[in-house]
Order: sequence, then C-alpha cells, then structure tokens
Amino acid sequence: MSPRIDELLAMPPFGVEPEAKSAALLAAVNEAMRHHYEHCPPFRRWCDKQGYRPSTPIRDMVSLPFLPVGIFKRVELSSVGGDQVVRVLTSSATSSQIPSRIVLDQVTRNRQMRALTAMMTHLLGGQRRPFIVLDVLPTPDRAAEQELSARAAGMRGYLMAATSKHYVLRESGAMPTLDVDQLLATVGQLKKGGQQFCFLGYTYLLYQAVVRPLYEQGICLDLPENVFVLHFGGWKKLQDQAVDRATLNAQAAAVFGIPTRNIRDLYGFTEQLGVIYPDEGNGFREIPTYTEVLVRNPQTMQVAPLGQVGLLEFICPLPNSYPGIAILLDDLGRIVERPSEDGQVVQRGFEVLGRAARAEPRGCGDTLPSQVYSADAPATASVTEGNR
Amino acid sequence: MKIRLLFDADGPHISLDATVEEAPIATSLESLLKRLKTGQEALRSIALNDLIGLCDAAAKAWTKANHPLANVIRRYGLGFLPLWMRRGNLETTCARSLRGYPDSLDRFVHWSANDSAHYRAQPRGLVVHWVAGNVPVLGLLSMLQALLCKNANLLKASHVSPGLLPQLLQGFADVEYVNPQGERIAGTLVSEATAAIYVERDDREAACALSEAADVRVAWGGREAVESVMRLPRRLGTEDIVFGPKTSFAVIGAERLSNEADARRVAQALARDCVAFDQQGCNSPHTVFVELGGAIAPDHFAAVLGEEMARVTTQSPPMELSPSEAARVLTVRTEYDMRGEAHYGADLAWTVAYAPEDQGLAEPCYGRTLFVRPVADVFSVVPWVTQEVQTIGLAVDDSRHALADALTGRGAARCPEVGNMRLYDSPWDGLFPMDRLVRWVSTG
Repeated sequence: MSPRIDELLAMPPFGVEPEAKSAALLAAVNEAMRHHYEHCPPFRRWCDKQGYRPSTPIRDMVSLPFLPVGIFKRVELSSVGGDQVVRVLTSSATSSQIPSRIVLDQVTRNRQMRALTAMMTHLLGGQRRPFIVLDVLPTPDRAAEQELSARAAGMRGYLMAATSKHYVLRESGAMPTLDVDQLLATVGQLKKGGQQFCFLGYTYLLYQAVVRPLYEQGICLDLPENVFVLHFGGWKKLQDQAVDRATLNAQAAAVFGIPTRNIRDLYGFTEQLGVIYPDEGNGFREIPTYTEVLVRNPQTMQVAPLGQVGLLEFICPLPNSYPGIAILLDDLGRIVERPSEDGQVVQRGFEVLGRAARAEPRGCGDTLPSQVYSADAPATASVTEGNR
Repeated sequence: MKIRLLFDADGPHISLDATVEEAPIATSLESLLKRLKTGQEALRSIALNDLIGLCDAAAKAWTKANHPLANVIRRYGLGFLPLWMRRGNLETTCARSLRGYPDSLDRFVHWSANDSAHYRAQPRGLVVHWVAGNVPVLGLLSMLQALLCKNANLLKASHVSPGLLPQLLQGFADVEYVNPQGERIAGTLVSEATAAIYVERDDREAACALSEAADVRVAWGGREAVESVMRLPRRLGTEDIVFGPKTSFAVIGAERLSNEADARRVAQALARDCVAFDQQGCNSPHTVFVELGGAIAPDHFAAVLGEEMARVTTQSPPMELSPSEAARVLTVRTEYDMRGEAHYGADLAWTVAYAPEDQGLAEPCYGRTLFVRPVADVFSVVPWVTQEVQTIGLAVDDSRHALADALTGRGAARCPEVGNMRLYDSPWDGLFPMDRLVRWVSTG
C-alpha cells in the first residue's frame, strides 16, 4: 500500500499550485523512503550513514539524501524479492562502459505508465493520434538485432499515445535512411484525413536520417501547425558532429513547416523512467508535479541558487523496486524561472547544459592494467531503455 | 601553424591564471629556435657545479615566505620541487645518471686505470618536452635534467594551467648564484636557453615542426598523448624519452602493523604520498594492500588512514574537483557506505574506501581516494603487477628485497618506502633520464 504515491499520481502532471505539489510530493517521498529503507539493505546501510531515520520524516527536499547515478553501475539495488522482478533495464553506458542496472517490478511499471500517460496526454492535448516513427519497423526477424531492438524498447512507452504507427526509415548499412516516398505518402494520407499526428524518433536519427537530407534537398513538408516532432535519446552523437539545438530546430522547423516550439526534446533517464521533461524548442523544461529538480554545486554538493550551473538532481517517489528516489546525475544544468503565458504565476523549470566532461585524460596514473582489473559490469541480459 | 609563446628570454608572456588564448602568437618558430641555440652555447661554458648551484639558489629563494613563488608552490602543492632542486639531490641524481662521473659534463674524464680512454658527456642540443596536462610541473623536472646536461629546452605546455610553467621559469631568471670562486652566475642563463609554448592539439604542422627540430623528444602524458608524439616525424638520431601512463599502489606488511602508533606512522606517510600532486601523478597511490595478521587489521588501518588523510589535507588543501570527478568520488563513497566502509570528511577533499571482499587493483577514482584491500600475504600482490605499474610503495620489513625483486621483475619501475613514493628520483620509468640527454663521446 502506498497511498501517498497514489495520491500524487492522481494529480495532474502540470499546473498544480506549488504548495499543494510540495506537500503531496514530500509525503510521497517520505513514504517511498520508508519503503526502501525497510526493503533494501544496502540502501538502509547508506541511509544510516547519512543520518536518515525513517521515524523522522524529511521536511524539505534539500535535506533528502541523494544517490549519485553511478551507484546503479556499482551496486545492485533492489527493494523487492527476485520473484517480483518483471524486467531488468540497463542504461546506455555511454561514458563509463559499465551500464546501470535497474530492476523493475509491476508496481513500478504501473506507476511509470500512469505518469507517462498523464504527461503524454498533457503534451499532446489529451488526444491519441497517429505517430510517424522516425525509425525502422522492428519486425520479429530483426528483433535479434541489438541496436534496433534497444531503440524500439526505448520508444515503446511513448507509442502508448499512438492510434497508429507509421515507420518511415529503412535499413541501409550502418545508418538507417529515410524512405522519402513512404514519408510523403504517409504525410499526404494523414493530412488528407485531417487528423492531428506527430513524429517520434531518436534525436540523432531525426537529424541525420530525416532533417539534414530533406533540408539539403530544400524539401518542406508544410505540415499543419498542430503537428509535433518529439525526439529523445540525447545529443552526444550530434555534438560529435557539432550540431546544436539551434541548428537542429531551425532546420527541422524549415523541413516540417512548423514552429520551433513544436519540436520537443524529451529529456529523461533510465533510473527514473516514466517521467519525461519535454522542452518547448528552447531548452526550458517545466518540472512536473511528480518530481522535484535541484541543482547542486559540484564542489560543495550544496543546492545552488537559481540560475547557477551545477549537477542536476532529480527527486521522484515512483520507483518501488529500487531506491531511485533522489538521484544526482552527471548532467549539468541550471534552474530557471519564467512567467506563465498569462503572466499570473512564475513557472519553475530547468535547462540541461550537457554531460559533465570526463576528467582530462591523465598524463600518468590513468592506466589500469586491463588483465588484472575485473570490471564489475553486471551480465544479466536486458534491454536498453532511457534516453539520457 | 599557430604557436603561442608562453615564456622566453624576455620573461613570461601570460600571467599565472591566464588561459592559453591570452598568450601572444610567436612570430616565427625559427627565430625562437635560433635564440635557444644561442642560449645553449652560453650554457655549455658553465660548469655543472655552477648550474647545480643556480638551481639550489632558486630552491632556497622560492621557499622564503615573501617570495612570489612561495604562494604558487603552496597553491599547486609543489612543495617537493624546491627539495628536488637542492644541491644534495641534484648531485646524487647527476652521479647516478651519469655513470658515476658527472664531471664528464664539463670535460673529458679518465674513468679507470684499466681503461686508457677519456669520456665526456656532450649535450644533445634541443630537448622538446611535451608536458602532461594533469601534472604540468613534471615537465620542469625533465627540463631541469636537460638543463644540467647543458641542453636548450622547449616546453610544449598543456592548456591546463598554462601560466604555471612560465612563472616557475621566471623564478630561475630572477636568481643569481655566487660560486666559491666568487663568480656570479646569472639565472638568465637558464631563461635564455629555455622557452615554453602552446600549440593546439590538432595543429599538426606545428607539432611536426617541433618534433623535427628536437634532438631529444620527451613525452609526458596519457597513452594517446605520448603515442601521438611518437608518431610525429623526427630526424634520424633523435632520442625519445617516454614517460607514459602508469599507475601506482602501496603494500603494507603485517609487521608494520604491530600497534596503533606504527600503523599511524605508515598511514601518515601514505597520506602524504597520496596528496602530493593531488593524487594525479603516475606515482600516486590509489590502492593500498594491507597484509592480514598484524595487530591492526585492514579495516582498522583504513580508519587510521582516514584520520591521517584528514590531517594531511588540512595542511595541503586539494585543488578544485571537476563535476565529473566530484560525481565519481560521491559514487565511491556511496558504494562503500552500502557494501563496506567509507571514511571521508564533510567535503569532497579525501576518501578512504574499504570492503573485506575486494581484491586486485581498484580503478583509480582520483580526488584523493584510496582503496584499502586486505591480502593474506604481501607476495600475493605480485600477480597484479604489469609493465604499466610505476611505483609500489612498500611498508615491508620481512623479505623486502625478495618482494621488490618479484614486483620489479614483473614490470614495476620502483619500490620505495611508503612516504617516498612521491619523490621523483633516478632511475625513473626504468631509465636514467640524464644518461639519455647527453651524447657520450670519448678520446683515446
């Protein structure tokens, strides 16, 4: 039983009065802390060291002990029995080569689904719609292909909001390519039917397979203004090519013929699936009811003031099967505020400014003899999800 | 080709905290090299004893409380540098490295009654040093050895702390040494034969020009950095000295843990080795193997080590951690809070991690993080050693030489006493650097 978390999830994802949100979120977080303290022995040992006592509720988010995201690569953390685990997720392990390992039970999955449904509903205006998927159709014979199946798993949650799915990329060597005829036919058909629809895909595929080729050919799809382009998966592959948000959005807006505010970058991460942080084409991401976001000064680990850049911390009480309640990421960002559209309230949000650069390659001392170091990478087969 | 001039005979061209972008662009590499060549000619006429005296005078001056470099040395944790530059150390280093005949740097010397030949160590010419970003002062150590061998020096600095080397080099220019004969030896002799520059990593034209100008190439750095230097074209006969990526650890024998006071002595020495160079040197310890069976068990030693790390860190505050380093330290602390024991202070300044089941070398975390691991026997660490291990600090009495023989036989470069890991001595990485910085010549 977790009445506080259920109450929180019953609230709308955005637009809740700050005081009401804080009270509901804090109650849910305290409920989650007690659960994990009681059911996850390594977490309990760590809590004890941090001075946390379940009998003394946390009174503000700032004082909530937080886990560095790297801990999910180092220690297996589970708050449920093995028989309750329905899935094991691994992150993409982009920087350390060791993936995070997250165990999911049905309770967690249900909560993630509820949160994601509420957020997608809010994002798409409460209406499911056809999705043009900027990827290759994951047919059963291709399911064994690791990268494709990983990509398919990563977008499965978003496709809950789809009334139909139209895949417009095809396999072509290392990088899928756009089937332009398929795209134009699908777009024509959906426009003709007068339906609202949207595009969904990984950020690097959106740019490399779709936007750049069409932009270079001077093609504009001239879509209705209510079409959204949703993309996710992070910017690393594009940063390697020196493509930034402004470039992607400008070219995408030209190709799709829609305002840049409809090109939404969905930020999220494996360790707290279910919650997404879409931007509005400008990097501003509103903080939903179900979470709190803090920025910590990397030198002191104290909470940084408004606007100051630091490490992003995400607080979310949804995980039941692992203690991922308060997680400090290695992504840099800052808290920002802006007036709401009607100017009546201040909306609190954040910006993601990229991954904290790994330390300089060490001049000396950086070598670990590979034959003597037994990496502790977990070996359980699983899918890759998350889009950080 | 764009070469930024950080230091030459005219002095530093950037301030201590400046970035490389603030340094002026050199008008011509050729004119810089010509100037260095002239400086080297002057250097050749100076006796080794006088050059050592100059270094000794600089070392004494820099440690005076009111000297401008005193703060720099404190801020960058370079306390070892003035000690290394003292006459006693340099004379020993020269004697060791130059086959027991350091006077060969000044004249032909008759080494043995059984050998009619006379031998002399001639400078090689221009030594170009590719300096590592993590410990820029290392370049100064190779530069000083090259200087004592009367070579001209060109230091290619990293973009990290590019202002540090120019300030230190100016520190030589500002001193004067009066030898026993009353002759005044000006520090400008050093600055006229030395320059520091910066070139972008992808400026291949500049990198090739530096490489082809070098009579000796000294490369400090990580694998990628030193390999890229070695791949550059060079003239036939150019000598290469590579100080590549290495890692280091310490071994504590049970006999050194017979009581709390002994354990604390070892822990204090180890803490000093750890904080030197902010644990970024190839000789900095990361893993500490503690032999079981002593009165002080490994977990207890870890706690004592934590206390000493706290104490030493108070005296030598750490450099600022990058966000990714901070996150890594936090992850190690959290991991060991969960599955072992983590000792740390209120800030991120130091960490000691222990878990009884841990084996082998820990992945270095940096940020003054030490991993204590139990071993049944000090000899059980031998299989962990490869050619990539640089220093193994030993706090071992029983079978010390047998252990050192086994460890160095597998590839370790040196096995000093714990507490001396941080000292840069000779041989280093398996060679006597000065021996490679001269041309040995003879006459019958």
